[in-house]
Formats: sequence, C-alpha cells, structure tokens
Amino acid sequence: MNGIVFDHVSKHYGDVLAVDDLSLTIEPGTTVALLGPNGAGKSTSINLLLGLLKPSRGTITVHGRAPAQAVAAGEMGAMLQDGALIPELTVKETVDLVRGLYPRPLALDDILAMADLTAIAGRRASRLSGGQAQRVRFALAVAGAPRVLLLDEPTAAMDVESRLRFWAAMHDYAAGGRTVLFATHYLEEADEHSDRVIVIARGRLAADGTADQIKADAGGQTVSFSLGAQPAAGLDRLPGVTAVEITDGAAVLHTTDADATLAGLYRGTTLDVRDLRLSSADLEAAFLRLTRES
Amino acid sequence: MLLTFARAEALRTLRNRRYLIFVVAFPVLLYLINANIYGSRSDGSGVGYNVVLMVSMAAYGALAASMMSSAVPLATERQTGWLRQIQITPLPSWAVVAAKLGSSMALVLPSLLLVGLVAIVQQGVSLPPERWAELLVALWLGVVPFVALGLALGSALSAEAAQPATMICMFALTIAGGMWFPPELFGSGMKAVAELTPSYHYASIGWSLAGGHGPAMPDVLVVLAWAVVLGGAAAVLYRRATVRV
Repeated sequence: MNGIVFDHVSKHYGDVLAVDDLSLTIEPGTTVALLGPNGAGKSTSINLLLGLLKPSRGTITVHGRAPAQAVAAGEMGAMLQDGALIPELTVKETVDLVRGLYPRPLALDDILAMADLTAIAGRRASRLSGGQAQRVRFALAVAGAPRVLLLDEPTAAMDVESRLRFWAAMHDYAAGGRTVLFATHYLEEADEHSDRVIVIARGRLAADGTADQIKADAGGQTVSFSLGAQPAAGLDRLPGVTAVEITDGAAVLHTTDADATLAGLYRGTTLDVRDLRLSSADLEAAFLRLTRES
Repeated sequence: MLLTFARAEALRTLRNRRYLIFVVAFPVLLYLINANIYGSRSDGSGVGYNVVLMVSMAAYGALAASMMSSAVPLATERQTGWLRQIQITPLPSWAVVAAKLGSSMALVLPSLLLVGLVAIVQQGVSLPPERWAELLVALWLGVVPFVALGLALGSALSAEAAQPATMICMFALTIAGGMWFPPELFGSGMKAVAELTPSYHYASIGWSLAGGHGPAMPDVLVVLAWAVVLGGAAAVLYRRATVRV
C-alpha cells in the first residue's frame, strides 16, 4: 500500500493557483524532501496532506485513507511553520499534553531525549529561545509516534549546531520505518537528508528522483583545472562531459558523472592537470534554472 | 484525551496573572469593601446586604472568569498556530470546544468559592446547606452563555481585537446584571435594556435562591435561551474559523 498519494491535486486561493495538478506517490518508510523556492506550493501541499486545507480538485490519500481520517487515527505528526507554544506551560507539560492526545504515543522521556529537551524539561515555553522552541515543536510532531511525519521548513530558526542535531534526531525517527516528508528551500538539506527529492515550482512537479539524479538532470557537477598552454582538444569527448569552457588557460568541464570524467582525464589523456577542483557550486544556479523553467 | 487537554487548559489559566487579579482577587476585594460599608443593611424582603452582595460579587467573578478564560486564549491560539498543532492530533474538533467549555467552567469555581468563603468568615453569613448547594450549582451552571460568548468572540476576532471586546462585553454584562450597582438604581430605559441580557437574569436567579425562594421561571428560561443562542453562535464561528475549504 502506498504511503502518500496525490492524485491530480489542485488548490487555488481565489485566482491564485498554489498547487497545479500535482500527482505523486511516496512509498512508506522513505524520507522525501519537498524542494522548491518560496511560494512554490510546499506549505500548501503539507496543509492539504494534513486536511487543514481541502483540495480544489483531485484527491489525497495517506495509507489509503483521506487526510482527516489519517489525522484522527493518529498517523500524522507535523511541524508547521507557525506553531507557537502555550507560554504558561512547561516543555514537559506541553509534550505530555500532545502525547496524551494520541492512541499509541512514545514514552515521555524518550521524546524529551530524542529532541534534546531533557535539560530544559521544566522550563516554561515563554522562556525558551527560538532554537529551543523549535526543538519542542519537533518533539510535539513525533510525540504520538505517527507513521507519517511532515516537517515544513523545520530548520528555519536554527543555528548550524542545532541543525546538525535536528537532522540526527530526524534520521533516528525515520529509521523506525516511518515516512518523513520535509519541505525546504535549501538544496543541501534535500541532498543530505533525503532518499528522494521532489522539486516543485509554481505548484507543479519540476523534478523527481534521488538527489544525484536531480543534480545530473539539472546540469550536474563541474570539474575545473588549469590547463595552461596545453591543447584542449578531446576534453569534450571525456565520459560524462556535457560542455567545455576554456578561459585564460583554465578549463571548466560540465559533467553528469564527475567520477567517470576524472578517471577519463587521468587515464585517457596525458595532460598535466593542476589546481583541480570538483564542485557542485553551480547547483544553486541549476536548481534555479530547474524551477524557473517549469 | 479530552480530560488531558482540559486539564492543561485550566492549568495555564491558573498561571496567568491577569486571571488571578481580575477573577480571583477583584471580586473578593470588592465584596470586602462593599460588605463592610453596606453589609449590615437589608433589602426590602429582609435579606441582608452581605448576602445580596455576596451573590453579586460571586456572579461578577464567575462572569469575568468565564469570559477571560475563553475569548482571548482562543483568539491567540488561532493566531499563533497552537490551535492548528492541536487540530492535527487525533483530538476531534468538537472535543477541543468541549474541553475549552469544561476548563472555563472549572475556572469559574475559584471565584464562586472564595467569595462565599469570605462572606462566611468575614461577614458571618450563614445559610442552610441546601441553599448553599443550590446557589453554587445555579451560579456555576448559569455561566454557560458567558463561556459561549467568550468562545464566539475568540473564534471571530483577532487576539488584539478580542482583548478590548471581551472587556467591553464583560463590563457591560456586569453592569446590566446589577452586580456592581443594585438594579433598583436603573432608570426605566436602562432597566428595559438590562432585562434583555443573560447577566441580569443570571444574577436574579442567584438573589432569588439566596433569599430562600426558588428561581423565577422567566429568569431560568432567558438564561437557557441565551445559552442555546450563544452556544450555537460559538459553534458556527469556531467552525468557520478552523475549517478551511
């Protein structure tokens, strides 16, 4: 049975089409990134999936049920973008409250430990920093041990260290065979933390595959080195190469398979390769291209 | 799970300083001041003003508690996203409303009990046990229209607007109910308006019970009618505020 199915789903607010005929299927147990620029329809898709919004057309199912039924069965947990806490309640009280609303929740201590909240369990929500509040919201999302976890730009308010810990916690949770769908506009996050990346732009599916496939489709990586006065002939025939740029003795090879290109460069040519650099630096640009085109 | 939620709702309000001042301290203080000035007199039917004022201040405290614990918290939760966090749990939305009604009603009890206690201790008020029981139950159950009004305001208004709106409704209902000034002081125009409000009849039920005669049927009917009307309004407005299409 499929985990999450969007079947020709559209959603418009007045004249604005936020989600445009979106169809996709997510297998249970996978971690999927929903990647797209702001306004692409990520939050709308997540709210549709939670039954907080109703599609204008099409149907959505979660484990074969309508979103509202999946929510009622305690199958869904989510970290939404604007999720304030109750200022007068402590971290522990807040987590325990939400936990108590699910039929088969995780143990309170386990949740607090997973979200790194044990040390501040007795603190009231009004006295938490932004990053701490964000951790509490993660704890609330997983408290009920939902089979489907939805995270809408979960690391938005976090510093670098909090992000690392957050993703580690997310992977722990996902490892139990659960389905995780997270929205982000950071390509690196999608790349590092998902099994599959779904790129959406203007409410439509722009690309769908593993991070590597997306990168390759989007123009892939570049291999650059200084060529000096050596001849450039033959570089465009190296494996994986899609384009060659030579400027002032510097060569930039665009490739869909950097490993093969490098092997070809060293084994198949006699060039003296210096200052070699391998980069995905133009991924952002490629991503922008991907989302602009669609 | 409804109880878990209602308990957390009540706990947060008990920790709110504004609730404690307006709802718990104010009615007791006002009672102490007024009862010490007028307490020894009695009304036309021979009921001591210390009893009449006890009912007035308990009713005022209950009215304030029921509205303050419902309107602004709900409006704030809608605005900040907490309500959505609850909406995506298995707790059905009728249970969210029921829990809010329940916790608001529970939060009415401290002011009812405290004013009564102060009346006994400081003013030596003494009533037969069954009359205490009737009074407590009537003043407690009679707050349903005010909780419903609070939930309706909290569903319809932003947090910024709900705050003054609640205050205005609360003071208007308190004054119309004759809880701060005896209704005998009302002019005929004012009295006609006051008689339309649920608070006027709510307080009347209390005074009738304290005076040893049962509540007048019209008072009970008016309070019940307002409970139905405002409860329906709250349900419709809450639905409109939370179910998006």
